[in-house]
Amino acid sequence: MPFRYEGTILNHLHTMDLLRVLIFKATLSLAILMLSSGLIYGQKVVRYDLYVKDTTVNFTGKPKRAIAVNGQIPMPTLTFTEGDTAEIYVHNELDEETSLHWHGLFLPNKYDGVPNLTQMPIEPHSTHLYRFPIIQHGTHWYHSHTELQEQIGMYGSMILNKKREPEIPTVPIILSEWTDMNPKNVHRMLHNASDWFAIQKGATQSYSEAAGQGYLKTKLGNEWKRMTAMDVSDVYYDRFLINGKNESQLSQFKPGDKVRLRISNGGASTYFWLTYAGGKMTVVATDGNDVEPVEVDRLIIAVSETYDVIVTIPATPAGAEPVSYEFLATSEDRTKSASLYLGAGVKQLASPLPRLKYFEGMKMMNGMMKMNGNLDDMGMNMSLNQMDMNVVMYPEITGPLKTQKQGTESKNEKDNMKMGNQDDAEKDKHAKHNMYNSNALSSITTLNYAMLASPENTSLPKNSTVKELRFVLTGNMNRYVWSMDNKVVSERDKILIKKGENVRMIIYNNSMMRHPMHLHGHDFRVLNGNGANAPMKNIIDIMPMETDTLEFAATESGDWFFHCHILYHMMSGMGAIFSYENSPANPEIPNPRLAQRKLFADDREFHFMAENDFATNGNDGEAMVQNTRWSIGSEWRLGWNDHHGYEVETHLGRYIGRMQWLMPFIGFDWRYRKMGMDEVEKNLFGQRNTKDKRSVLSVGVNYVLPMLVTAQAEIFTDGNVRFQLERMDIPLSRRLRMNLMVNTDREYMAAVKYIFTRYIGATAHYDSDMGFGLGLTLNY
Amino acid sequence: MILLLSTLLSYADIKNLQTENVRIAGACAQCKEAIEAAAFQKNISEASWNKDTKIAAISYDSKKTSLDAVLKKIALAGYDNQNYLAPDDTYARLDESNRYERAVKRPVTAQEKMNAHQHGHDAANSPNEQVVPSADDPLKPVLNAYYAVKDALIASDGAAAASKADNLVKTLKAVKMDQLGSEQHTVWMKVVKDLDFDAEHIAETKDVGHQRDHFTSLSDNMYKLIKSAKPTEPVYYQHCPMAKEGKGANWLSQESAIKNPYYGAQMLNCGKTTETIK
Repeated sequence: MPFRYEGTILNHLHTMDLLRVLIFKATLSLAILMLSSGLIYGQKVVRYDLYVKDTTVNFTGKPKRAIAVNGQIPMPTLTFTEGDTAEIYVHNELDEETSLHWHGLFLPNKYDGVPNLTQMPIEPHSTHLYRFPIIQHGTHWYHSHTELQEQIGMYGSMILNKKREPEIPTVPIILSEWTDMNPKNVHRMLHNASDWFAIQKGATQSYSEAAGQGYLKTKLGNEWKRMTAMDVSDVYYDRFLINGKNESQLSQFKPGDKVRLRISNGGASTYFWLTYAGGKMTVVATDGNDVEPVEVDRLIIAVSETYDVIVTIPATPAGAEPVSYEFLATSEDRTKSASLYLGAGVKQLASPLPRLKYFEGMKMMNGMMKMNGNLDDMGMNMSLNQMDMNVVMYPEITGPLKTQKQGTESKNEKDNMKMGNQDDAEKDKHAKHNMYNSNALSSITTLNYAMLASPENTSLPKNSTVKELRFVLTGNMNRYVWSMDNKVVSERDKILIKKGENVRMIIYNNSMMRHPMHLHGHDFRVLNGNGANAPMKNIIDIMPMETDTLEFAATESGDWFFHCHILYHMMSGMGAIFSYENSPANPEIPNPRLAQRKLFADDREFHFMAENDFATNGNDGEAMVQNTRWSIGSEWRLGWNDHHGYEVETHLGRYIGRMQWLMPFIGFDWRYRKMGMDEVEKNLFGQRNTKDKRSVLSVGVNYVLPMLVTAQAEIFTDGNVRFQLERMDIPLSRRLRMNLMVNTDREYMAAVKYIFTRYIGATAHYDSDMGFGLGLTLNY
Repeated sequence: MILLLSTLLSYADIKNLQTENVRIAGACAQCKEAIEAAAFQKNISEASWNKDTKIAAISYDSKKTSLDAVLKKIALAGYDNQNYLAPDDTYARLDESNRYERAVKRPVTAQEKMNAHQHGHDAANSPNEQVVPSADDPLKPVLNAYYAVKDALIASDGAAAASKADNLVKTLKAVKMDQLGSEQHTVWMKVVKDLDFDAEHIAETKDVGHQRDHFTSLSDNMYKLIKSAKPTEPVYYQHCPMAKEGKGANWLSQESAIKNPYYGAQMLNCGKTTETIK
């Protein structure tokens, strides 16, 4: 893989466009405001014009489509001062709808920028004005809230300065990721449980890898509990970017300088680890709100979170050459990173984060997962990222992979022996508390939410009524369904709240992924043990099994989205709408019913997949369209001649329950096969079955058993009954998969498939009807 | 299919060849292997390093990579060069014999950072091995020396604790009493003997258990001393209710995160900050 660090190359920009790219700030005269007498402050109106346009970028050596605003990715940094009025004209020059959401801002509901909820989408080739007063300060950002546009360039920093900012050099930083794949295809592949991303990441966690590293039992236990390979993120990315570049340098800074980085994570689905080669970082704000300064070695920034961090460029002794220091953003899956060098001169690198120990993670998941798909925290009361189950996968915290760590192990044993002297119960209590506490296990200080405190009293009004809401974050990795309380956005009524009350949310994550939950238009207090000084945020990352309590004062009106900010989770329906009772009608939504239908279309979308094996003994394949609850699929076996026969089975089913293991269905089965004279087949129950020509309806049910075996019972209109067991895609090695099937019609099948590329594989299979065959498999 | 693939992957030398000579730090024969392995990418880049001249001839495909990218890989393997300095812990992990003299003299801060076996934080960053008088806060060196002992105890490293305690004894002796404020001076007179006593005992043994006993009273006296005057940096007074068979014990720390010096690595975060002195 060649490495090229060319950053953003915008090929399709014409000079004409550049001329039109006008950003200007205009101060309106005071005249209008002088109508009333007395003291009137001149209100400063800051205007931006944003031209949204298709473009072509080249991050990896291949030209790809992206969306640029004013000819750039990320979108331009918008800067305002508290007290200004923002006037933002969005000129949509795309051939599709768009919208812009001002992330973390307090503003009138109709300018919040959620298409089909707070406004209608900005139609192609039209202009839309967002105009709102800036009533807060801090580091924020903005992005498209339309479909998957955020993935391909529509993100940018939004800096709201205090009237009097501290005098320190400041750099806005927006992190993001790039994939050469069309994000719609990424979304489709996620919904079809493709493991292509795992292959790209080297995270297949196959049986042969498990056996090689001594984790065979772990792998078996994992599949017994009906889990597939585990990972910390869903998508493989080609590049990670800091301000649109994989590597860049700010050489204006001198040794001894302190620099404030105002960091927003504009990635669609990537959490980033932030580390700095020049020493500790001081966290001074999050989500636009100041916090008491806290020094850390590293922090993880959740999708859409913001942090203000102060770093120091170490002073050099007199006469020495200057050195620049790497600010490193590494994706949570640690496949790649992006670098920003602060200062001039030779570059001091930060230590790269070592690869994850996936099987240790799998072992941890096995321990937490109950057979019914619920998670069990074993009484640890996890919250606020203080316990990070993932530390078992971090070599820098829990030591390198077993095969290389004899030395450290014996040391640990010695420690354990020493502890044997102490009271056992006490030891247990300590050990359990610390097993996943990264700050206790190592000398590296990692930020967690319990370490954040607001410098101000953030208590809510005392006399208000309190509305308590409980949410359980739910999900299903196999089918990529993400929800709250097992309801997607379209399945849930709006949550009604009243202006003037205090809303308390208690959120438990019962899914296997972490979720950055974002509330529009409000900051909430994170109850973290700091009493009246609880920090204010609008994003909170909730890890599996954590429970967090948040509260906010309901002071607005209108409809506000509350959702997981992982783009593909949101598009799958992981969210809810808070709606203020008795709000005036939103003038931006002339037809609320139409808007609602369009909004719900996102998570009702069907995803298509198809696969066919062109084999020496016939064609073998399937096609399916599925959404959150429904599945329509056809399987076929088409021989090359009448003796091999032709067979198509079609099922329409509905997934039941949170884990979606159960699927009742109705089906249609058609076969044609030329057999010998009067030849009939008998099934295990003695029922006769002419294969020659058969065209029947059926009802049946699928159920996923431990080891991910699908059991199927089906009864046909001709009275025949069939039971079948099937296991698809057993990961034998990184790219080798095995399928097995047997049923009571005395049919059986075994196949081995080698995956060459995303769409191409080779299969060898044996089938009781069609015999042995070798073939080329195409899948979509 | 497979045939096709193998022809695609078959050998072809580096295209668009560019070769440059670059100086790369290194000390021994094994370095050669490591540097060349780091630079090697099939058909894209390779290097040949001369141990005597320290010069590497780096050849690469200028359309697919750059000299800078190759040098970054070499630095990530632990070898400083004109564009990049190796991460400090990577350098520290090189074999003793491989460790070359680092050319660029840099402050201690970065070198000590993230070193897996070094549990020092701010304390490790400041020159705590020498007794350096500080103009603004005469007790700063004492506090730093104390932190160094604490950090060694966090690591359960008896030998390090002993040597850091020895340093603390020296630091205590170097304090110029005339620079202390009057209230501070009073407290100093009260506690200096005990501080000295505990520090000496910690320095005398390598038994961590015994050191921790003395560390309890050392910490209590340090608390009195530090509280008597406003420290330049915030000091966190922390408490573990489980230490000393449930009697509890305190310590001072330079950071708010809990790193308990009374237990080994297994139970490091028991405790909480009871007071922030600033």
